Amino acid sequence: MNTNLIRLITSLALSPAVLAEFSESDRHFTLKVLPLINEKCIACHGDPSQDLKGGLDMSTREKLLHGGDNFTDVLVPGDAEKSFLMTTIKWIDPEWEMPPKENDRLNEKQIAHFEQWINDGAPWPDESVQEEIFLAERKREVTEDGVLITTSGGLADTWTYRRYQPEDVWAFRPLDHSIKPSPEAAHPIDSFVDDKLAAAGVEQAPSADLATLLRRASFGLTGLPPSPEETKEFLQAAEANPEQAWNDLVDRLLNSPQYGERWAQHWLDIARYADTGGMSNDYERSNAWRYRDYVIRSFNEDKPYDQFIVEQIAGDELADQSLRARISDPEEYQKARAEGHYTPEEAELLIASGFLRMGPWDPAMVKAPEARQMYLDDVINSVGQTFLSTTMRCFKCHDHKFDPLPAKDYYRFYAAFAGTQLAERKAAFLPEEKQTGFEEGKALVERLLAFANDKKNAILEKQEEAAKEWYRENGTEYVGLNERKDLPDDIKPPRHVGLDHIEQGRLKVREQDAWIWNRRLERYQPMVQSVYNGQDLEYLNARKLRMKEQKKPDWRPDNSILTGGSLEAPGDPVTPGVLSPLGLPAATGDEEDPFQLPEELEGRRLTLAKWIAHPGNALSARSIVNRVWQYHFGKPIAGTPNNFGVKGAKPTHPELLDWLAADFVSNGWQLKRLHRLIMSSATYRQASQHPEFKELANQDPNNDLLAHFPIRRLTAEEIRDGMLKITGELNYEQGGLPARPEINMEVALQPRMIQFSLAPAYLPSPTPEERNRRSIYGYRVRGMADPFLETFNQPNPNDSCAVRDSASVSPQAFTLMNSDLMTDRSIAFAMRLEKEATSHGEKVNRAFELTLGRQATADETEMMARYIRDMEEYHQSSTPENREYPTEITRTLIEEFSGQPFQYKEILPAFENYQPDTQAAEVGPETRALADFCLVLFNSNEFVHLY
Amino acid sequence: MIHQICSRPISSAASRREFLYGLGATLGSVAMTDMLAKDTAPSLLQSPLSPQPPLNKARAKNVIMLFMEGGPAHMDTFDPKPKLQELHKSESKLGGSLHTGFKFFVGSPFTFSKVGQSGIEMCDEFQYLRDPEIVDELCNYRGCQAESLNHPEALFHMNTGSRLGADPALGAWATYGLGSSNQNLPGYVVMTENALPQGGSRNWSNGFLPAYFQGTALRSSGSPILDLDSQSYKSRAHQRAALDALGYLNQQHAQQHPEHADLLGRIESYELAHRMQMEVPDVVEIDDEPEYMKEMYGLNQKETADFGRQCLLARRLVEKGTRFVQIFSGGWDSHDYLERGHGSRIKSVDRPMAALIKDLKQRGMLEDTLVVWTGEFGRTPDNNKRGGVYSIGRGHNSNAMSMMMAGGGVKPGAIVGGTDELGAEAVDVKHPIRDFHVTLLHLLGLDDNKLTYFHAGRYKQLSQFGGKVIKELIA
Repeated sequence: MNTNLIRLITSLALSPAVLAEFSESDRHFTLKVLPLINEKCIACHGDPSQDLKGGLDMSTREKLLHGGDNFTDVLVPGDAEKSFLMTTIKWIDPEWEMPPKENDRLNEKQIAHFEQWINDGAPWPDESVQEEIFLAERKREVTEDGVLITTSGGLADTWTYRRYQPEDVWAFRPLDHSIKPSPEAAHPIDSFVDDKLAAAGVEQAPSADLATLLRRASFGLTGLPPSPEETKEFLQAAEANPEQAWNDLVDRLLNSPQYGERWAQHWLDIARYADTGGMSNDYERSNAWRYRDYVIRSFNEDKPYDQFIVEQIAGDELADQSLRARISDPEEYQKARAEGHYTPEEAELLIASGFLRMGPWDPAMVKAPEARQMYLDDVINSVGQTFLSTTMRCFKCHDHKFDPLPAKDYYRFYAAFAGTQLAERKAAFLPEEKQTGFEEGKALVERLLAFANDKKNAILEKQEEAAKEWYRENGTEYVGLNERKDLPDDIKPPRHVGLDHIEQGRLKVREQDAWIWNRRLERYQPMVQSVYNGQDLEYLNARKLRMKEQKKPDWRPDNSILTGGSLEAPGDPVTPGVLSPLGLPAATGDEEDPFQLPEELEGRRLTLAKWIAHPGNALSARSIVNRVWQYHFGKPIAGTPNNFGVKGAKPTHPELLDWLAADFVSNGWQLKRLHRLIMSSATYRQASQHPEFKELANQDPNNDLLAHFPIRRLTAEEIRDGMLKITGELNYEQGGLPARPEINMEVALQPRMIQFSLAPAYLPSPTPEERNRRSIYGYRVRGMADPFLETFNQPNPNDSCAVRDSASVSPQAFTLMNSDLMTDRSIAFAMRLEKEATSHGEKVNRAFELTLGRQATADETEMMARYIRDMEEYHQSSTPENREYPTEITRTLIEEFSGQPFQYKEILPAFENYQPDTQAAEVGPETRALADFCLVLFNSNEFVHLY
Repeated sequence: MIHQICSRPISSAASRREFLYGLGATLGSVAMTDMLAKDTAPSLLQSPLSPQPPLNKARAKNVIMLFMEGGPAHMDTFDPKPKLQELHKSESKLGGSLHTGFKFFVGSPFTFSKVGQSGIEMCDEFQYLRDPEIVDELCNYRGCQAESLNHPEALFHMNTGSRLGADPALGAWATYGLGSSNQNLPGYVVMTENALPQGGSRNWSNGFLPAYFQGTALRSSGSPILDLDSQSYKSRAHQRAALDALGYLNQQHAQQHPEHADLLGRIESYELAHRMQMEVPDVVEIDDEPEYMKEMYGLNQKETADFGRQCLLARRLVEKGTRFVQIFSGGWDSHDYLERGHGSRIKSVDRPMAALIKDLKQRGMLEDTLVVWTGEFGRTPDNNKRGGVYSIGRGHNSNAMSMMMAGGGVKPGAIVGGTDELGAEAVDVKHPIRDFHVTLLHLLGLDDNKLTYFHAGRYKQLSQFGGKVIKELIA
């Protein structure tokens, strides 16, 4: 059939005369009911390759009328009420709920479609009629069922031509640049918020008082409370000129280095930062901190967000592009690349690509292709969630169930990363990268390495003595351990000769320790956790990932749609490409395939990154603006910041979101500008308490109107860092090797299994200054969370966290009342108060100023002073003891060789010259009593919440 | 926002379970605490862990899971393979594992017997489990397949339904669905041996569920729960005074913020912590148990004392209302020296495990309590040489394993499913881990397809994408 004829037929199908040929009930069945049967029922009731469930076949009207094993009245044409089908899909009888999964359950509208169909007499036009109805329908872009969205195409036409409610696919629509705030409004943000309030007949809450605003802004921008001096200064300035004082305050906070530390924490939550790789071995990623510091620098420098995107997704490609421009000779270039002769600017780009190395990954005992797939699935899901607020996993095994995202797009996106290989690459430290602690750290690692080697060698020596003895007894000449490995059993001594099972176990532990510490010497080498483009390797080991020479420069990954996500079931081949439903072409696309990325390995990610960072990419702009809003208000405009899909929460203020996104993009993607914009609004500056809160609790329980500022609990890091600032212990030093704060000693010394052995103990830094740095600099081990931070809902770094949990659970009370950490903070705080105030009343008041940013009331002062006096009496006879820090520990491990426990000694050199924080035993009863009050204050609701 | 993603309407306090079943939350606990606050005002906040009736008829109320970390060999415990004896040390060409190079078959070092009326099979190292009083309560399942070949992935899979270590654990789902009947004890308790298993606390994480459902590690030495006790120089009275001082500050503050219900929740969490501080030591302090009980659990013998104490604690916890208890026992990864390794591991768990089942039975608790003994995978019929030597041990096997269960509605005195002649692969009543999970929830009266939580774009469930109840396991 020629194409002209096809056109003729389709245009005929479009003509009203032809449309009228189909009865309304046939169209209803074909367009509304049949797709539901196919999607929701057929797999169990009519797929010829599967057993029929309950004997019911729904593939034809006749079979449906016949019913199943248990029921014959499944379908009673003309009478929905008598049709058992309706009972099942309505989930009336718990024994017969269909489809049985919550995820597949029909909504009311879909149930009504079935009802109408049955009452219409259950017509079932034959397939040719169905086909004509479908074809005619596809020509109508908008119908009462919604809109079509053009994509690169699904696995089936029913998916490709399915319809969406426009409000469901809001995120895939271009930004509406025509949205403008009302010209009368004093502030554009307030304009949108007020419109919605006015429509609901609700007044906005009054302005918050100045001290509350100061605390809100300080924690919000820097993660730290304001000092009493800062409070005083701000209140005085505000008396003279409130608007000016507020703007100056916001500027000062944005310009402080603590701003970058605070906002980088948000980013690292999403990116899943940790200093180890997790899984079986939990290998240290010894230079991951360089990426952490890159993020902090980027926020502090106010790096345009589009640039921030591109650097993290393709920084390595940019660095090599720049290197190649400097060194044109291919061999010289390769050499410089291998040796890491990058300029500081290029090195920075390489460090940025560490984003692609943030997920947990260890290929141990996994076949290489599967380990690759695990990495690629993980990294593209991370890129999708982080930058596009799109959960990629949902269209890996099939076309997306709800969103206009075909499986084809998943594998085109996947192909963009398919040549991305993991490596620690060389790049000199930047001038701004702190190398504090390198020498001491290296000495410690070398000592632990030497200890492990000594122990290992002593056991091996004993073994080889016994081996020599064996050879003597057998009258043959001694053959060394390595040389005899492949010799037959009968001409060599037994394995582990001369060693009992205890020594065998110890040998294994020492061997593991030796290479663990040897590997950790990488901490002090100028290496970057990065990636490069190259061919797949046959053998993968996360212990050492280095750039490999390209044996086949023309190597290209084969990429196909993997049916059901399985490597064993490759379907249609795909080329690299971007997501199609946005309609935004890639820079390398052409008319035939606008979404095409380069075929060359080099450039796939860069072109993709630039597409994500394109001003026309509405997902990217909405994503970041929504996140920034959320971190200020504790609630986002669109409720699920990692997923803008159909099933995500709809924006409460869609116009505001689009206006903010458009404004952000057209003003250079500047985050600090966005902060100023948000924080200058009355919406941001309103009180958390609404005069009509009782009515609002019913009318707007989730505060979707933003009629008042949402209250939130401080995050784990805000609580810890805030306390350190309040006690005066906080060390503001920035960047560098991970800090090792003191953590609960039971956890620090808790043995935990890694492959073949136990992980070495956690060793805190020896001095308080080193330990008491901001939490973002703390050493993050996937296999062992900091118990204090974890208790306060620091997220698991194996999963991207868009919104922190803040559930109040009793372990928080245990930690905040009883832990050593809290005892240390409260004693430090008491010692500070003793220096800065004299009477009980003054101390109480000073403590309130420092902790809560306000004066204590007379009643509070009296009650707390009385409490302190009572405690002074108590502590006259209390007898605290100094905490013990062991310098070695005996480990017990169950050995696979014997199934029995054996013991070995581990040294803990960090505790040899350890300077603990001041202990309860070192201070008098008065200080201990004052510390009790400090502890209570740190536990108070007012301290741990932000208003 | 909430209603758009809620599959069942939320209307009243009575519908809280529906909330649990359908809603999940877009904002995790934010929405949750809001809802709870709304449902229960003005009285004290209802704890998210308060007991909930199951959705369907429950066979089990509680679960005690004995987790043998490292992967016990099914052919050296409950699934004898005489054929391997014949093939001992002859070359194996079996695929399936990652090992390459020369492999040889390994016969079990142990002898086997059929025991009880039901003829359950076990190796003769199990001396106590064959007790006629309990042996016919056992249900041996041989059809499960693990899918992962390495420890943490397989541990995560068996414990959380996903290999990635970021999803909620079994106990978290169970307490999410059913709450716990004693608010002064954690609803989901985990006890480990000396060392944490690979992957650590991610194995008992609440994942994307709110933190209320996280497993609480009950420590065998030091403070039973981290920071449960106040500093040693502070007395109970001192602590009460501190709580009162805190109460005063929080009351003052709450008067200024009547709009914020979460403040009440936090005050309540301190009182709960205080009660827990009283009750946990009572459970952990086993001196009040009679001597014969300690003897029965093997507390008087070195090899069994640790696991025995944990099994006894598990019974005490369940008796007092804890919903889900998990005990990890390591050392089963016998790549070598199988006889010594498995021999001593069996010895360490046999007596305590038998005592637990017997004790539960005598107290009439067994019918309500599902006891599960499992590893993260099984072991291979063959092995590689190590250091050039025929090492008598076994590799990891994701295609076959053995579980032992008792009570809680499983078929007593039954062997369900089977493996091939060599024990290389499950062939009969073969099911992936997710089906075991679905079955476990089913026994608790929970439907995996309905016990969901909205996260990352969809309603998530323990089985990930749904699974089947293994009907053959159910009495």
